[in-house]
Amino acid sequence: MKFSLLFVILFAVTVNSFSQTENTEETQITIISGTVKGERDSLLEGVNVVIKGTIDGATTDNKGYYEFETEKSGQQNLLFSFAEYADKTIPIEITPGKNLSQNIKLTKEEVRTEEIIVTASSFTSGQNNAVALTSLEIVRIPGADADLYRAITTFPGSNQVNEGSRITVRGGDPDEVLTIIDQASLYNPFIFDETFNVSSYSTINPWGLKGINFTSGGFSAKYGNVLSAVLDLKSYDMPQGTGMFAWLGLANASLSGVYLSKNRNFGATFSGGKLLLQPYFALNGENSEYAPIPQSNQFGGTLSHKIGSTGNIKFYANYSDDKVGIKNASPSFDGFYNSNSKSVFTNLKLMVAPSSSTLLNASASFSLYDRKNQYGILDTRSKDIYSKGRVDFTKNMTSKIDINTGAEYEYSGYEINGKVPTYSYNLSLSAPSFQIDTLAHTGRIGAYAEAQIKLSNKVFVITGARTDYHTLSGKMSFDPRLSFGYLPNNFHSIRGAVGLYHQYPKLDNYFRASENELNPEDAMHYILGYEFNKEGNIIFRVEGYYKDYNNLVLTDRNDFYYRSSGEGNVKGVDVFFKTKISNKFTGWISYAYSDSKRKQYDSQNLVPSNYDITNNISLVGSYNLTDQIVFGAIYKLSTGKPYTPVIGSEYVTSQDVYKPIFGEVNSSRYPAYSRIDMNAQYIFSLFGKFAVAVLAVNNILNTKNIYEYTYNFNYSERKEIITNNKRTFYVGLGLQL
Amino acid sequence: MKSKISILVILMFLMLLNLKSYADADFDKAMLKAKKHLKEAMDKMDETKIVKSRGEFERILQLKKDMWLVNYYIALADYGLSMNAGITEKKDNIRKYTESGINLINKSIDENPEFADSFVLLEILNFNRWQYEQEKMQEIISATQSADAFAMKLDPNNPRLILTNGISHFYTPEAFGGGVKIAIPEFEKAIELFKSRKEKKEIYPDWGIDMAMGYMALSLMKRDDDGDMKKAKTLMDEALKMNPDSGFISGYVQSQYKENNK
Repeated sequence: MKFSLLFVILFAVTVNSFSQTENTEETQITIISGTVKGERDSLLEGVNVVIKGTIDGATTDNKGYYEFETEKSGQQNLLFSFAEYADKTIPIEITPGKNLSQNIKLTKEEVRTEEIIVTASSFTSGQNNAVALTSLEIVRIPGADADLYRAITTFPGSNQVNEGSRITVRGGDPDEVLTIIDQASLYNPFIFDETFNVSSYSTINPWGLKGINFTSGGFSAKYGNVLSAVLDLKSYDMPQGTGMFAWLGLANASLSGVYLSKNRNFGATFSGGKLLLQPYFALNGENSEYAPIPQSNQFGGTLSHKIGSTGNIKFYANYSDDKVGIKNASPSFDGFYNSNSKSVFTNLKLMVAPSSSTLLNASASFSLYDRKNQYGILDTRSKDIYSKGRVDFTKNMTSKIDINTGAEYEYSGYEINGKVPTYSYNLSLSAPSFQIDTLAHTGRIGAYAEAQIKLSNKVFVITGARTDYHTLSGKMSFDPRLSFGYLPNNFHSIRGAVGLYHQYPKLDNYFRASENELNPEDAMHYILGYEFNKEGNIIFRVEGYYKDYNNLVLTDRNDFYYRSSGEGNVKGVDVFFKTKISNKFTGWISYAYSDSKRKQYDSQNLVPSNYDITNNISLVGSYNLTDQIVFGAIYKLSTGKPYTPVIGSEYVTSQDVYKPIFGEVNSSRYPAYSRIDMNAQYIFSLFGKFAVAVLAVNNILNTKNIYEYTYNFNYSERKEIITNNKRTFYVGLGLQL
Repeated sequence: MKSKISILVILMFLMLLNLKSYADADFDKAMLKAKKHLKEAMDKMDETKIVKSRGEFERILQLKKDMWLVNYYIALADYGLSMNAGITEKKDNIRKYTESGINLINKSIDENPEFADSFVLLEILNFNRWQYEQEKMQEIISATQSADAFAMKLDPNNPRLILTNGISHFYTPEAFGGGVKIAIPEFEKAIELFKSRKEKKEIYPDWGIDMAMGYMALSLMKRDDDGDMKKAKTLMDEALKMNPDSGFISGYVQSQYKENNK
């Protein structure tokens, strides 16, 4: 019985199949056709037209015409899709056998506001057309030594500090430039930072970056506690493959690698390097007396794991150390300046996209910078500790409005102990001194919200505000900010920004403040610029700016406490021209005029700021002689940095030393700074692997640029201390393993 | 009662099976048709036809079946469009279609990471990036090497993988570890593998034999040892016999042959 039933069922199903086929044959065919137009009624070729949920459809021809047959009937949805245009779905009623005509006009997909860089004063790399600085350029810029920060100083608005990687922007202090990597603040990405007459170097590997955004003013409300400039870096979320790269140079050796798991859900990167200066000094000679010679180690890496189809969790860590002893003869002590430091940075970042229009980033970071300095009687150890938790949320509200909001908490601690001279002019081993053992710490809570609004196809606005609260001083700040862009066509744009920016003084400043009574320093930025950009092949930019500073830290002459009564301003113009001629030549000229005056720290009058460089010009060129050989050259010329002259001295009997008498703060300038660097790269195959060889000659004319002046014991004779960057040759070889 | 439930379950199962076989048949039929159109379009390097064929695959996505394979073909169409943009010197389109192709093939790999041909396509799409972002040299090298390693692990005898390596060596100067001496054995191996290979399913990719023969012919012309030109001619003829519509052979390889025979 059961068997019979099964047979009946099988028969029924089979008959049903046939009957379906039969029905299909009886179904009447309907032809659906029409024309698709785009902007300005242009006929669109290649538009995909389909009845949703079926494969019935067609692609439009060069007259925008489509036609297809269908056996479907009743209520259906017709979907039109085409690159750069928004998808359009229209309901249709198909009456069997009755042909249907459906003409339609598509509108261009609204450009997402997040893809538009409205911010003035920005140089970026990434997917945007306004690319001005790429990883390859960083590596190829002569004299930049493959250092991101040095490369940035070939763009207008920024300057190197003592030929190193620390940068200053538009006359501000180096501390007013904030580096951010994957949401975390990176306060000390350098080796040999703050070391006497030794150039600092960055520990950031430019090849590990997928995005670089350097903005020298008018930046977004998401960046807090920074007065002058932001360098926002994004490392790769997931390596693209597996491989290793080794480098052996006259002064250094390094090994880096990337790994991508088979299921491509897990990735890792690492890099390690060591400074090996012996061969470099053997070829170029020692430019100072060292004991020990500069030495440094660095290693770091990332671990990434994919979460779902869009999420990612990434751990980033970096360690570096350095050590050097350099001979220096000061009026009160002739001996070695010794320093060594260790730096650790870690960051854990989570990125998830809860929906197609929302993005959530959260991170927790920690950094420690531990350094020792010893010169004469000075013998200190200090530690900077930072820890930050941050959350950013982005929502695409409509095609015209994106909302960004976020919050952060940052802990900062500063500790110093050791022996310091009582008088700054006496550093001899027998000088009066005192023990110091102190620490300060604070928390900062910040939050921001901003809207990126596309007012029309040509006008974009970013408006936002942020607020911060500083637990040590109990002071709160509020920063409204606005940037705008007007893009009349693909090539021209006008950008501007106005906004208030706050930065809390460095923690060691609070040691000299009465009851931590220091306000956040503030600057009002006004920026307006024009840019011509022809697909990155020709870029011309001119930008004017004015910044008004208030609440700068100033010594009160009555009680020598620090107070927030300083002020200042800076005005200037940046001009930038870059051209790319086929694949052969890339070059740019950048010029910056700046006039920066401050009443800050010990200067009771408005005087040129410490890094007021009036004129600064860089000419950079790179020429591909063949596919394998590339030559590069750079010429830099700038006004000398201000300094405070010694105008006399008085003998201090009790200490048997002379005390300098200083003139007006920053009332003199060093001679103009200039330098020409050249390099050549040769790309070839070694053991069947990709290899690159580099020959670099820095300061080719052996120009003697001044680091600073020193004096004899009674300050009657001034001596020049020349920077350690005399003419040097460097060769290196890189090999893809 | 129990038996009635059993019968009902069997009935439902058979109906589902029946419906599925219809859907499968529709899918396979549509895929084969679209695959044929894509091959014709790419043989002729006809941009309009490649776009049309890409549209066919996009429509097949509506069936929501084996989307990884459909996305593979859309990515392949994008590769064809990027190659065409290279010929017509539309620089922006090289980038546009290469990036779209990489995005789609990554989607395909996420869904089915065991399909060697997807990694081969990922490798050749990454090669394309040299044309517009040389500054990402290290990233491109590691991306192509990694895709190559994945494909090699999954299917070391995939002829399209061996062909891709041969093409890469063909265009790489000897100084960089390339050249025809290295490429020729790879093309020979690829041709041999193409001839003996039968894809698991008809809807799976099977392109490449004419390219392997064409590149082998080009390599022989470049080497030009005794008898190489004759061998090149034989290969061209054989390739055209197998695929009379191959624009690569009739348009490019034959013209190179004529040039070399002057």
